[in-house]
Amino acid sequence: MTAVADPFVHPALFYRDEQEYLAGTVPFVREAVEAGEPVAVAVPGENLRLIQDGLGDAAAGVRFLDMRQAGRNPGRIIPGVLRAFADAQPSGRRVRIIGEPIWAGRTANEYPACVQHEALINAAFQGREVTILCPYDVKRLDEQVLTDALATHPTLITSGSPLPRASGAYDPEAVVAGYNRPLSHVPDVQGLVFDDVTLPGARYHATAEGMRLGLTGTRLDDLSLITAELTTNSVVHGGGVGELRVWAEDGYVVCEVRDSGRLEDPLAGRRPAPHEQRGGRGLLLVNLIADLVRVHTDHEGTTIRVFLAP
Amino acid sequence: MGIRYGTPSAAVDAEPGLTVSPLSGRRGLRAAGEVGLATRVIWERALEEALRGDEDVYELELSAVTFIDVAGAGALADAVRRLGPDRRIVLHAPPSVLRRSLELLWPGLDGIEVPTS
Repeated sequence: MTAVADPFVHPALFYRDEQEYLAGTVPFVREAVEAGEPVAVAVPGENLRLIQDGLGDAAAGVRFLDMRQAGRNPGRIIPGVLRAFADAQPSGRRVRIIGEPIWAGRTANEYPACVQHEALINAAFQGREVTILCPYDVKRLDEQVLTDALATHPTLITSGSPLPRASGAYDPEAVVAGYNRPLSHVPDVQGLVFDDVTLPGARYHATAEGMRLGLTGTRLDDLSLITAELTTNSVVHGGGVGELRVWAEDGYVVCEVRDSGRLEDPLAGRRPAPHEQRGGRGLLLVNLIADLVRVHTDHEGTTIRVFLAP
Repeated sequence: MGIRYGTPSAAVDAEPGLTVSPLSGRRGLRAAGEVGLATRVIWERALEEALRGDEDVYELELSAVTFIDVAGAGALADAVRRLGPDRRIVLHAPPSVLRRSLELLWPGLDGIEVPTS
Protein backbone atom coordinates (compact mmCIF):
# COMPACT_ATOMS: atom_id res chain seq x y z
CA MET A 1 0.00 0.00 0.00
CA THR A 2 1.15 3.50 -0.75
CA ALA A 3 0.60 6.35 1.65
CA VAL A 4 -1.29 8.37 -0.95
CA ALA A 5 -4.72 7.06 -1.88
CA ASP A 6 -5.01 5.85 -5.46
CA PRO A 7 -7.18 8.29 -7.45
CA PHE A 8 -8.51 5.31 -9.40
CA VAL A 9 -11.94 4.29 -8.10
CA HIS A 10 -13.40 0.89 -8.99
CA PRO A 11 -16.58 -0.04 -7.16
CA ALA A 12 -18.79 -3.06 -7.86
CA LEU A 13 -22.51 -2.22 -7.90
CA PHE A 14 -24.69 -5.13 -6.73
CA TYR A 15 -28.23 -4.73 -8.07
CA ARG A 16 -31.29 -6.91 -7.68
CA ASP A 17 -33.72 -5.40 -10.15
CA GLU A 18 -34.26 -2.67 -12.71
CA GLN A 19 -34.97 -0.05 -10.06
CA GLU A 20 -31.74 -0.72 -8.22
CA TYR A 21 -29.89 -0.77 -11.53
CA LEU A 22 -31.20 2.67 -12.45
CA ALA A 23 -30.67 4.05 -8.94
CA GLY A 24 -27.04 2.94 -9.07
CA THR A 25 -26.21 4.05 -12.60
CA VAL A 26 -28.30 7.05 -13.69
CA PRO A 27 -27.21 9.46 -10.91
CA PHE A 28 -23.58 8.38 -11.54
CA VAL A 29 -23.90 9.48 -15.17
CA ARG A 30 -25.92 12.61 -14.36
CA GLU A 31 -23.37 13.83 -11.83
CA ALA A 32 -20.61 13.40 -14.39
CA VAL A 33 -22.57 15.24 -17.06
CA GLU A 34 -23.37 18.08 -14.66
CA ALA A 35 -19.73 18.33 -13.59
CA GLY A 36 -18.62 18.41 -17.21
CA GLU A 37 -16.73 15.12 -16.79
CA PRO A 38 -16.44 12.77 -19.74
CA VAL A 39 -18.59 9.69 -19.20
CA ALA A 40 -19.09 6.41 -21.06
CA VAL A 41 -21.51 3.55 -20.51
CA ALA A 42 -20.50 0.09 -21.74
CA VAL A 43 -23.13 -2.44 -20.65
CA PRO A 44 -25.22 -5.16 -22.34
CA GLY A 45 -27.69 -3.72 -24.89
CA GLU A 46 -30.85 -4.19 -22.85
CA ASN A 47 -29.30 -2.36 -19.88
CA LEU A 48 -27.92 0.31 -22.19
CA ARG A 49 -31.49 1.16 -23.24
CA LEU A 50 -32.61 1.29 -19.59
CA ILE A 51 -29.91 3.81 -18.74
CA GLN A 52 -30.57 5.86 -21.89
CA ASP A 53 -34.29 6.05 -21.07
CA GLY A 54 -33.50 6.92 -17.46
CA LEU A 55 -31.20 9.75 -18.54
CA GLY A 56 -33.52 11.34 -21.06
CA ASP A 57 -31.95 14.54 -22.38
CA ALA A 58 -28.90 14.06 -20.17
CA ALA A 59 -27.91 11.15 -22.47
CA ALA A 60 -26.57 13.61 -25.05
CA GLY A 61 -22.80 13.71 -24.89
CA VAL A 62 -22.52 10.34 -23.14
CA ARG A 63 -20.66 7.62 -25.02
CA PHE A 64 -22.73 4.42 -25.16
CA LEU A 65 -21.36 1.01 -26.15
CA ASP A 66 -23.06 -2.37 -26.18
CA MET A 67 -20.70 -4.48 -24.08
CA ARG A 68 -22.00 -7.68 -25.70
CA GLN A 69 -20.34 -6.43 -28.89
CA ALA A 70 -17.45 -4.21 -27.78
CA GLY A 71 -16.54 -6.49 -24.87
CA ARG A 72 -17.48 -9.94 -26.07
CA ASN A 73 -13.77 -10.74 -25.77
CA PRO A 74 -12.94 -9.69 -22.18
CA GLY A 75 -9.30 -9.18 -23.24
CA ARG A 76 -10.44 -6.42 -25.59
CA ILE A 77 -12.20 -4.33 -22.93
CA ILE A 78 -9.21 -2.57 -21.33
CA PRO A 79 -7.48 -1.49 -24.55
CA GLY A 80 -10.50 -1.31 -26.87
CA VAL A 81 -13.18 0.15 -24.57
CA LEU A 82 -11.96 1.55 -21.25
CA ARG A 83 -8.58 3.01 -22.12
CA ALA A 84 -9.71 3.84 -25.66
CA PHE A 85 -12.26 6.18 -24.04
CA ALA A 86 -10.25 7.38 -21.02
CA ASP A 87 -7.05 8.09 -22.96
CA ALA A 88 -8.92 10.18 -25.53
CA GLN A 89 -10.16 12.67 -22.90
CA PRO A 90 -8.37 15.87 -21.94
CA SER A 91 -6.35 15.56 -18.74
CA GLY A 92 -7.35 17.33 -15.54
CA ARG A 93 -10.88 15.98 -15.42
CA ARG A 94 -12.03 12.74 -13.84
CA VAL A 95 -13.24 10.23 -16.41
CA ARG A 96 -16.22 8.09 -15.47
CA ILE A 97 -17.19 4.79 -17.03
CA ILE A 98 -19.88 2.24 -16.26
CA GLY A 99 -18.55 -1.14 -17.39
CA GLU A 100 -20.60 -4.32 -17.12
CA PRO A 101 -18.45 -7.12 -18.52
CA ILE A 102 -20.12 -10.01 -16.67
CA TRP A 103 -23.76 -10.83 -17.37
CA ALA A 104 -25.89 -13.92 -16.87
CA GLY A 105 -25.19 -16.01 -19.94
CA ARG A 106 -21.41 -15.60 -19.98
CA THR A 107 -20.24 -19.18 -20.59
CA ALA A 108 -18.00 -21.26 -18.34
CA ASN A 109 -15.39 -20.92 -21.06
CA GLU A 110 -15.62 -17.11 -21.04
CA TYR A 111 -15.84 -16.59 -17.30
CA PRO A 112 -12.17 -17.05 -16.30
CA ALA A 113 -11.20 -14.43 -18.91
CA CYS A 114 -13.97 -12.12 -17.62
CA VAL A 115 -12.90 -12.28 -13.98
CA GLN A 116 -9.20 -11.92 -14.85
CA HIS A 117 -10.14 -8.83 -16.87
CA GLU A 118 -11.98 -7.34 -13.86
CA ALA A 119 -8.92 -7.99 -11.70
CA LEU A 120 -6.50 -6.46 -14.24
CA ILE A 121 -8.47 -3.21 -14.53
CA ASN A 122 -6.94 -2.24 -11.17
CA ALA A 123 -3.37 -2.50 -12.43
CA ALA A 124 -4.24 -0.97 -15.81
CA PHE A 125 -5.72 2.18 -14.22
CA GLN A 126 -3.53 2.55 -11.15
CA GLY A 127 -2.86 6.24 -10.49
CA ARG A 128 -5.43 7.48 -13.01
CA GLU A 129 -8.21 10.03 -12.28
CA VAL A 130 -10.79 7.52 -13.45
CA THR A 131 -13.87 5.89 -11.89
CA ILE A 132 -15.12 2.60 -13.33
CA LEU A 133 -18.41 1.38 -11.87
CA CYS A 134 -19.17 -2.31 -12.53
CA PRO A 135 -22.77 -3.48 -12.14
CA TYR A 136 -23.45 -7.10 -11.07
CA ASP A 137 -26.88 -8.70 -11.35
CA VAL A 138 -27.02 -10.47 -7.97
CA LYS A 139 -30.26 -12.31 -8.78
CA ARG A 140 -29.03 -13.95 -11.96
CA LEU A 141 -25.30 -14.39 -11.41
CA ASP A 142 -23.78 -17.33 -9.50
CA GLU A 143 -22.64 -16.95 -5.92
CA GLN A 144 -19.04 -17.55 -7.04
CA VAL A 145 -19.22 -14.62 -9.46
CA LEU A 146 -20.31 -12.32 -6.63
CA THR A 147 -17.60 -13.65 -4.33
CA ASP A 148 -15.04 -12.98 -7.07
CA ALA A 149 -16.41 -9.45 -7.57
CA LEU A 150 -15.50 -8.67 -3.95
CA ALA A 151 -11.92 -9.73 -4.72
CA THR A 152 -11.65 -7.76 -7.97
CA HIS A 153 -13.18 -4.52 -6.61
CA PRO A 154 -11.79 -2.55 -3.66
CA THR A 155 -15.24 -1.16 -2.87
CA LEU A 156 -18.86 -2.26 -3.08
CA ILE A 157 -22.15 -0.39 -3.53
CA THR A 158 -25.50 -1.99 -2.68
CA SER A 159 -29.00 -0.53 -2.45
CA GLY A 160 -28.80 -0.80 1.34
CA SER A 161 -25.51 1.07 1.36
CA PRO A 162 -25.33 3.45 -1.62
CA LEU A 163 -22.02 4.95 -0.50
CA PRO A 164 -19.10 2.76 -1.49
CA ARG A 165 -17.75 0.65 1.37
CA ALA A 166 -14.71 -1.60 1.45
CA SER A 167 -15.47 -4.90 -0.28
CA GLY A 168 -13.47 -6.64 2.45
CA ALA A 169 -11.94 -9.26 0.20
CA TYR A 170 -9.98 -7.20 -2.35
CA ASP A 171 -7.16 -9.34 -3.80
CA PRO A 172 -6.92 -8.97 -7.60
CA GLU A 173 -3.55 -10.76 -7.93
CA ALA A 174 -5.06 -13.85 -6.30
CA VAL A 175 -7.90 -13.79 -8.83
CA VAL A 176 -5.51 -13.52 -11.79
CA ALA A 177 -3.46 -16.43 -10.40
CA GLY A 178 -6.45 -18.51 -9.30
CA TYR A 179 -8.12 -18.43 -12.71
CA ASN A 180 -4.85 -19.23 -14.51
CA ARG A 181 -6.07 -22.79 -15.00
CA PRO A 182 -5.13 -25.45 -17.52
CA LEU A 183 -7.47 -25.23 -20.50
CA SER A 184 -9.81 -28.16 -20.41
CA HIS A 185 -10.93 -30.28 -23.31
CA VAL A 186 -7.91 -30.80 -25.50
CA PRO A 187 -9.53 -31.90 -28.71
CA ASP A 188 -8.42 -34.88 -30.73
CA VAL A 189 -6.69 -32.74 -33.33
CA GLN A 190 -3.22 -33.38 -34.64
CA GLY A 191 -0.86 -30.57 -33.66
CA LEU A 192 1.59 -28.98 -36.04
CA VAL A 193 5.03 -28.33 -34.60
CA PHE A 194 6.73 -25.20 -35.92
CA ASP A 195 9.98 -23.30 -35.49
CA ASP A 196 11.54 -20.22 -37.10
CA VAL A 197 11.97 -21.92 -40.46
CA THR A 198 8.44 -23.32 -40.65
CA LEU A 199 6.55 -20.25 -39.34
CA PRO A 200 4.91 -19.49 -42.71
CA GLY A 201 3.84 -23.14 -43.01
CA ALA A 202 2.11 -22.94 -39.64
CA ARG A 203 0.12 -19.96 -40.88
CA TYR A 204 -0.81 -21.74 -44.13
CA HIS A 205 -1.98 -24.71 -42.08
CA ALA A 206 -4.19 -22.48 -39.90
CA THR A 207 -5.76 -20.64 -42.83
CA ALA A 208 -6.39 -23.89 -44.73
CA GLU A 209 -8.12 -25.32 -41.66
CA GLY A 210 -10.00 -22.06 -41.08
CA MET A 211 -11.26 -22.12 -44.64
CA ARG A 212 -12.30 -25.73 -44.34
CA LEU A 213 -14.18 -24.86 -41.12
CA GLY A 214 -16.08 -22.01 -42.75
CA LEU A 215 -14.11 -18.80 -42.25
CA THR A 216 -14.06 -16.36 -45.16
CA GLY A 217 -12.95 -12.82 -45.96
CA THR A 218 -11.91 -10.65 -43.02
CA ARG A 219 -12.31 -13.48 -40.51
CA LEU A 220 -9.91 -15.62 -42.51
CA ASP A 221 -7.48 -12.70 -42.61
CA ASP A 222 -7.92 -12.37 -38.84
CA LEU A 223 -7.07 -16.04 -38.31
CA SER A 224 -3.98 -15.60 -40.44
CA LEU A 225 -2.86 -12.50 -38.47
CA ILE A 226 -3.60 -14.18 -35.12
CA THR A 227 -1.67 -17.31 -36.08
CA ALA A 228 1.29 -15.25 -37.27
CA GLU A 229 1.43 -13.28 -34.00
CA LEU A 230 1.08 -16.27 -31.69
CA THR A 231 3.53 -18.48 -33.56
CA THR A 232 6.07 -15.67 -33.98
CA ASN A 233 5.85 -15.00 -30.23
CA SER A 234 6.64 -18.67 -29.58
CA VAL A 235 9.69 -18.51 -31.83
CA VAL A 236 10.96 -15.19 -30.43
CA HIS A 237 9.92 -15.38 -26.76
CA GLY A 238 8.60 -18.88 -26.12
CA GLY A 239 11.57 -21.18 -26.51
CA GLY A 240 11.87 -21.13 -30.30
CA VAL A 241 9.43 -23.95 -30.96
CA GLY A 242 5.68 -24.30 -30.57
CA GLU A 243 2.71 -26.43 -31.46
CA LEU A 244 -0.36 -25.21 -33.33
CA ARG A 245 -3.85 -26.70 -33.36
CA VAL A 246 -6.97 -25.48 -35.15
CA TRP A 247 -10.44 -26.93 -34.63
CA ALA A 248 -14.16 -26.09 -34.53
CA GLU A 249 -15.96 -25.81 -31.19
CA ASP A 250 -19.41 -24.45 -30.28
CA GLY A 251 -19.69 -22.44 -33.46
CA TYR A 252 -16.18 -20.98 -33.21
CA VAL A 253 -12.98 -21.71 -35.04
CA VAL A 254 -10.35 -22.18 -32.35
CA CYS A 255 -6.64 -21.55 -32.85
CA GLU A 256 -4.33 -22.73 -30.08
CA VAL A 257 -0.59 -22.24 -29.77
CA ARG A 258 1.50 -23.87 -27.07
CA ASP A 259 5.14 -23.26 -26.29
CA SER A 260 7.58 -23.67 -23.45
CA GLY A 261 7.81 -19.98 -22.53
CA ARG A 262 6.12 -18.27 -19.62
CA LEU A 263 3.97 -15.18 -20.04
CA GLU A 264 5.14 -13.03 -17.13
CA ASP A 265 3.12 -9.88 -17.82
CA PRO A 266 -0.63 -10.30 -17.22
CA LEU A 267 -1.28 -6.96 -18.96
CA ALA A 268 0.43 -8.08 -22.18
CA GLY A 269 -1.92 -7.32 -25.07
CA ARG A 270 -4.13 -5.09 -22.91
CA ARG A 271 -2.23 -1.81 -23.17
CA PRO A 272 -3.14 0.49 -26.03
CA ALA A 273 -0.02 1.30 -28.03
CA PRO A 274 0.70 4.95 -28.83
CA HIS A 275 1.50 5.62 -32.50
CA GLU A 276 5.14 6.39 -31.74
CA GLN A 277 5.74 3.05 -30.00
CA ARG A 278 7.53 0.57 -32.25
CA GLY A 279 6.60 -3.08 -31.95
CA GLY A 280 4.84 -4.93 -29.15
CA ARG A 281 1.39 -4.93 -30.74
CA GLY A 282 0.92 -8.59 -31.62
CA LEU A 283 -1.14 -9.68 -28.60
CA LEU A 284 -3.02 -6.38 -28.65
CA LEU A 285 -4.19 -7.12 -32.18
CA VAL A 286 -5.18 -10.66 -31.13
CA ASN A 287 -7.30 -9.21 -28.30
CA LEU A 288 -8.89 -6.60 -30.53
CA ILE A 289 -10.09 -9.04 -33.20
CA ALA A 290 -10.79 -12.27 -31.30
CA ASP A 291 -14.17 -13.23 -29.83
CA LEU A 292 -12.44 -14.81 -26.84
CA VAL A 293 -8.84 -15.33 -25.75
CA ARG A 294 -7.97 -17.84 -23.03
CA VAL A 295 -4.46 -18.14 -21.62
CA HIS A 296 -2.81 -20.64 -19.33
CA THR A 297 0.80 -20.07 -18.35
CA ASP A 298 3.09 -21.72 -15.81
CA HIS A 299 6.65 -23.02 -15.46
CA GLU A 300 5.96 -25.73 -18.04
CA GLY A 301 4.83 -23.37 -20.76
CA THR A 302 2.10 -21.18 -22.17
CA THR A 303 -1.07 -22.08 -24.03
CA ILE A 304 -3.06 -19.36 -25.79
CA ARG A 305 -6.43 -20.35 -27.21
CA VAL A 306 -8.22 -17.91 -29.50
CA PHE A 307 -11.89 -18.24 -30.49
CA LEU A 308 -13.16 -16.69 -33.72
CA ALA A 309 -16.80 -16.63 -34.78
CA PRO A 310 -17.31 -16.86 -38.55
CA MET B 1 5.71 -31.86 -20.45
CA GLY B 2 4.70 -28.58 -22.06
CA ILE B 3 4.92 -29.31 -25.72
CA ARG B 4 3.87 -32.65 -27.10
CA TYR B 5 5.56 -33.16 -30.40
CA GLY B 6 3.41 -34.54 -33.15
CA THR B 7 4.04 -35.30 -36.75
CA PRO B 8 3.26 -32.23 -38.81
CA SER B 9 -0.15 -32.76 -40.38
CA ALA B 10 0.45 -30.35 -43.23
CA ALA B 11 3.28 -30.11 -45.66
CA VAL B 12 5.44 -27.17 -44.75
CA ASP B 13 6.44 -25.11 -47.74
CA ALA B 14 9.84 -23.64 -48.25
CA GLU B 15 10.41 -20.16 -46.88
CA PRO B 16 8.47 -17.87 -49.23
CA GLY B 17 10.86 -14.94 -48.91
CA LEU B 18 10.49 -11.34 -49.96
CA THR B 19 11.97 -9.68 -53.01
CA VAL B 20 12.15 -5.96 -53.58
CA SER B 21 12.91 -4.14 -56.83
CA PRO B 22 12.81 -0.47 -57.91
CA LEU B 23 9.84 0.82 -59.89
CA SER B 24 10.67 2.10 -63.34
CA GLY B 25 9.97 5.75 -63.97
CA ARG B 26 8.65 6.49 -60.46
CA ARG B 27 10.17 6.78 -57.03
CA GLY B 28 9.21 3.60 -55.29
CA LEU B 29 9.54 -0.14 -54.94
CA ARG B 30 7.77 -3.27 -56.00
CA ALA B 31 7.71 -6.00 -53.36
CA ALA B 32 6.77 -9.65 -53.81
CA GLY B 33 6.37 -12.43 -51.26
CA GLU B 34 5.60 -12.22 -47.55
CA VAL B 35 6.60 -9.98 -44.67
CA GLY B 36 7.16 -12.01 -41.54
CA LEU B 37 9.87 -12.74 -38.98
CA ALA B 38 12.31 -14.06 -41.59
CA THR B 39 11.82 -11.23 -44.09
CA ARG B 40 11.30 -8.27 -41.75
CA VAL B 41 14.85 -6.99 -42.24
CA ILE B 42 14.41 -6.84 -46.03
CA TRP B 43 11.12 -4.97 -45.58
CA GLU B 44 12.56 -2.51 -43.09
CA ARG B 45 15.52 -1.81 -45.36
CA ALA B 46 13.13 -1.16 -48.25
CA LEU B 47 11.20 1.32 -46.10
CA GLU B 48 14.40 3.08 -45.06
CA GLU B 49 14.92 3.69 -48.78
CA ALA B 50 11.61 5.57 -48.89
CA LEU B 51 12.83 7.92 -46.15
CA ARG B 52 16.03 8.77 -47.99
CA GLY B 53 14.61 10.86 -50.83
CA ASP B 54 12.74 14.14 -50.65
CA GLU B 55 9.86 13.51 -53.10
CA ASP B 56 6.33 14.20 -51.99
CA VAL B 57 5.22 10.73 -52.96
CA TYR B 58 6.85 7.34 -52.56
CA GLU B 59 5.05 4.41 -54.15
CA LEU B 60 4.95 0.84 -52.93
CA GLU B 61 3.60 -1.67 -55.41
CA LEU B 62 2.35 -4.52 -53.20
CA SER B 63 0.07 -6.56 -55.46
CA ALA B 64 2.44 -9.55 -55.23
CA VAL B 65 2.74 -9.37 -51.44
CA THR B 66 0.51 -12.04 -49.92
CA PHE B 67 1.00 -11.40 -46.20
CA ILE B 68 2.35 -8.72 -43.84
CA ASP B 69 2.42 -9.37 -40.11
CA VAL B 70 1.78 -6.76 -37.41
CA ALA B 71 5.48 -5.94 -37.01
CA GLY B 72 5.68 -5.37 -40.78
CA ALA B 73 2.66 -3.06 -40.61
CA GLY B 74 4.37 -1.35 -37.67
CA ALA B 75 7.56 -0.77 -39.66
CA LEU B 76 5.46 0.87 -42.38
CA ALA B 77 3.57 3.02 -39.85
CA ASP B 78 6.87 4.05 -38.33
CA ALA B 79 8.33 4.99 -41.71
CA VAL B 80 5.25 7.05 -42.53
CA ARG B 81 5.49 8.87 -39.23
CA ARG B 82 9.10 9.76 -39.92
CA LEU B 83 8.39 11.02 -43.47
CA GLY B 84 7.43 14.50 -42.40
CA PRO B 85 4.19 16.40 -42.88
CA ASP B 86 4.24 17.05 -46.63
CA ARG B 87 5.30 13.63 -47.84
CA ARG B 88 3.32 10.43 -48.19
CA ILE B 89 3.58 6.78 -49.12
CA VAL B 90 1.12 5.44 -51.67
CA LEU B 91 0.28 1.73 -51.35
CA HIS B 92 -0.81 0.00 -54.54
CA ALA B 93 -2.90 -3.15 -53.99
CA PRO B 94 -1.79 -3.88 -50.43
CA PRO B 95 -2.81 -7.26 -48.98
CA SER B 96 -6.06 -7.06 -47.01
CA VAL B 97 -4.28 -8.09 -43.78
CA LEU B 98 -2.19 -4.90 -43.97
CA ARG B 99 -5.28 -2.73 -44.25
CA ARG B 100 -6.81 -4.59 -41.30
CA SER B 101 -3.73 -4.08 -39.08
CA LEU B 102 -3.40 -0.40 -39.98
CA GLU B 103 -7.08 0.29 -39.36
CA LEU B 104 -7.07 -1.45 -35.96
CA LEU B 105 -3.70 -0.40 -34.59
CA TRP B 106 -2.91 2.90 -36.34
CA PRO B 107 -6.31 4.48 -36.96
CA GLY B 108 -6.15 7.93 -38.48
CA LEU B 109 -2.51 7.60 -39.48
CA ASP B 110 -1.67 10.46 -41.83
CA GLY B 111 0.69 10.03 -44.74
CA ILE B 112 -0.58 6.73 -46.16
CA GLU B 113 -2.71 6.67 -49.25
CA VAL B 114 -4.38 3.63 -50.77
CA PRO B 115 -5.83 4.47 -54.20
CA THR B 116 -9.02 2.58 -55.00
CA SER B 117 -8.57 1.08 -58.41
